[in-house]
Amino acid sequence: MLAGIARRVGRRFLASIPALLGVVIVTFTLMRVLPGDPATFFASGPSAGQAEIEELRRTMGLDKPIPVQLVRYLGEIARGDFGRSMTTGQPVVLDIQRRLPASLELTCTALVIALFLSLPLGIFAALRQGSLVDHAVRMLCTLGVCVPTFVSGLLLIYAFYYLLGWAPDPTARIDIFASAPPDITGFYLIDFALTGDGEGWWAAFRQLLLPAVTMALFVLAPLARMTRASMLAVLGSDFIRTAHAMGLSRPRIIVAYALRNALLPVLTITGIVFSTMLGANVLVEKVFSWPGVASYALDALLASDYAPVQAFVLLMASIFVLVNVTIDVLYGIADPRVSVA
Amino acid sequence: MQGAAGAALLAGGSGSAMAQSRAETLRYVTGATINTLDTTMFGATRESFGLSMNVYDRLFTFGRKKVADYWVFDPATIRGELAKSYSISPDSKVITITLRPDATWHDGTPVTAEDVKWSLDRAVSAKSLAGPQFTTGSLTKPEQFKIVDTQTVTVTLDKPDRLALANLCVPYAMMINSRLARKNATAEDPWAQEWMKTNTAASGAYIVESHKPGESTVLRRNDKWLGAADGALANFRRIIIQTVPEPATRANLIERGDADLAIDLAASDLPTLEKSAKSKVVSMPQTNGFTHISMNTQLAPFDNPKVRQAIAAALPYEDMFKAAIFGRGRKLYDGTWSTTPPDASFPQPIPNKTDPALAKKLLGEAGFPNGFSTTFAFTVGQAATAEPLAALVKEALGKAGIQVEIQKKPDAEFNTLASERKMPFFTDGATAWLPYTYYFFYLYFTREQRWNFSSFKSTKMEELTLDARYQTDQAKYDDDCKKMIEIFTAETPLIMLWQPNHDAVMAKSVDGYTYQFYRQADFRDLKRV
Repeated sequence: MLAGIARRVGRRFLASIPALLGVVIVTFTLMRVLPGDPATFFASGPSAGQAEIEELRRTMGLDKPIPVQLVRYLGEIARGDFGRSMTTGQPVVLDIQRRLPASLELTCTALVIALFLSLPLGIFAALRQGSLVDHAVRMLCTLGVCVPTFVSGLLLIYAFYYLLGWAPDPTARIDIFASAPPDITGFYLIDFALTGDGEGWWAAFRQLLLPAVTMALFVLAPLARMTRASMLAVLGSDFIRTAHAMGLSRPRIIVAYALRNALLPVLTITGIVFSTMLGANVLVEKVFSWPGVASYALDALLASDYAPVQAFVLLMASIFVLVNVTIDVLYGIADPRVSVA
Repeated sequence: MQGAAGAALLAGGSGSAMAQSRAETLRYVTGATINTLDTTMFGATRESFGLSMNVYDRLFTFGRKKVADYWVFDPATIRGELAKSYSISPDSKVITITLRPDATWHDGTPVTAEDVKWSLDRAVSAKSLAGPQFTTGSLTKPEQFKIVDTQTVTVTLDKPDRLALANLCVPYAMMINSRLARKNATAEDPWAQEWMKTNTAASGAYIVESHKPGESTVLRRNDKWLGAADGALANFRRIIIQTVPEPATRANLIERGDADLAIDLAASDLPTLEKSAKSKVVSMPQTNGFTHISMNTQLAPFDNPKVRQAIAAALPYEDMFKAAIFGRGRKLYDGTWSTTPPDASFPQPIPNKTDPALAKKLLGEAGFPNGFSTTFAFTVGQAATAEPLAALVKEALGKAGIQVEIQKKPDAEFNTLASERKMPFFTDGATAWLPYTYYFFYLYFTREQRWNFSSFKSTKMEELTLDARYQTDQAKYDDDCKKMIEIFTAETPLIMLWQPNHDAVMAKSVDGYTYQFYRQADFRDLKRV
């Protein structure tokens, strides 16, 4: 079975290479077709003239025709050189190396919170279909999905930081006066745990909680609704009726038979939700000054800063591929029939 | 002492040491990013100018003066910063600069004339933004800078340019530890531009302790700094500059007392902060800036001065002033004179008034009795103020028969269009580092270049700016300036609206904030009282 999984994973990775290449080419062309010339934007200092703009265009390689630029760019990526960001002044690889763990830590925590809330809520709503609980869950989900994350984020900040003073100030990954953990994995919670710094771990956790909850609220709806729908479908099926007729205990029926079978669509949705969260949490990152990749890409996009945007899109595409493959493997574990096929 | 406080802070800190070091630390929150430590680099942000002024010394610096209750930079007084003194030859062509004999770089080595020469050579030779700025002061080639002895340098000018000295005060004129920089230069990069993006070789009031672009930059006080007006050290021992993109969060941080200073908050948050118990607002017009509505004088129908005057008469100035900036600024309309300005200062209120009847009449005379249609553009970055302004422009011009389509453009696209002179009608803001009347006209109303917003062409204006530039007789200079203002008023290449306020919000305990020409906080003047 393991060999089967490995074969499938390998096939999937190979199949994704043309897609990734396509993503690179499309982004590259799109950035250059969009109105807005980075050379003009960045040479816009006081008393900078046409000569400076031309000079900058030359150093950025923008004076060459687009196909030539593309070939050169592909060569650079192959060597692992993603160019330099004009907005931060750093090599893009360095920026992303520093920022990706921040985004991943936030997204993973938010996803864990969202799953912890949505699975029981969805199951509960399905078991008590049409009851008050079902309606309450439906309302919570609607609210979560209706309120944009920057509104819920600002509201949470206003309540828990500004009014109550329970949360630390909503800036960055750790209190600005405290020191960051040594850089081992880039995930603060893990790094603090590894170095055994309990106080630091708690500080980082407190800092992480509000933005993670904000994001979790937003994705609660698809997860809880999907759990509910899929549970309902399974609970109405023949084998559950048979299980009841055989006199199996209710918890055993729900967890071992119903839930396991209901999890497949939830897994699919979780994969999609995770990828979307990673790319779309730009508002949360902005509101909480979270130094992640999404806000980095947005700043670059507004400034027509090509290199970071291209690298960001490629990164997101690769993560999407990775997540899909992972979900595929998990599928096989949840439902052995998949790996046989 | 400082070391002890720092150690206590790292260890989690005992109460009093922590409190003391917090009082001696200034936490500054900003929406922007410091993208380079070498502010002459292409694309350097405004935040990086501010950092550079605090970390690097220049030979000279502008003084400051009190206007009403607040401190504002004063371009009329220039004093030495790294220079101890200077003298100018009788023909105004040679500036002799004497350095402070005991000045040292951050690494402890002494500041020499050789360093100064190298820094000035770099400004005019390296491919950067410093070169074009320095040409406005007739500083163009290394041969102009000569070492006399280890403490003395001369700057020689072909003509007595009135802005030569002022150009040595701007952010680009930073003085660099040449020995350190040269050690990190390469054959392709003789001016160490690559290295200096992420490293400093400076002598200024603060030393960069850590720099994470887009997150935070921490500065430590230089205890050997000599550049202050009174020779004293900076007051704050530590400065934390933190990027907090959301303006509402920045406002919250100040109101809660967790941050000490912010300068770029939303105008709508200011009234609350003014009333708050923990914060105060220091508010003053940007004396070297202006917000304007530009018309492309090379494109029909705006090539007709009568059309431009008609627009100037049709605009609802008071409504725009209130809706766009809540009346927080100095008006540059409603001037009480007609053809000759009362003085040679600029920007000053221009005699533009809302007069729909006059607008109709002028449009008729220009051959557009039924109006025309055009577009009106502004940037996304300025949407908060420009959006209400654009709506009012559209409404008022609609009454005069001019159909306006509003275009909101991403900053990069707007800049490209402005630089290619493709927009007929738009609003933008501008600030001149060197707020001298001649410089405003030279920068914004002559030559085909990015900052000539309205593509204005006038031989008379070119002649006047050229004469004023090298004019040593003050009366004749003033006369030239008044004539420039007259041409501007008669031709109306663009419509002056106002000087928006610079609003700095700070903790009640912070004092001494000065409005600087580069529109950033100068930490050296700040103290906690």
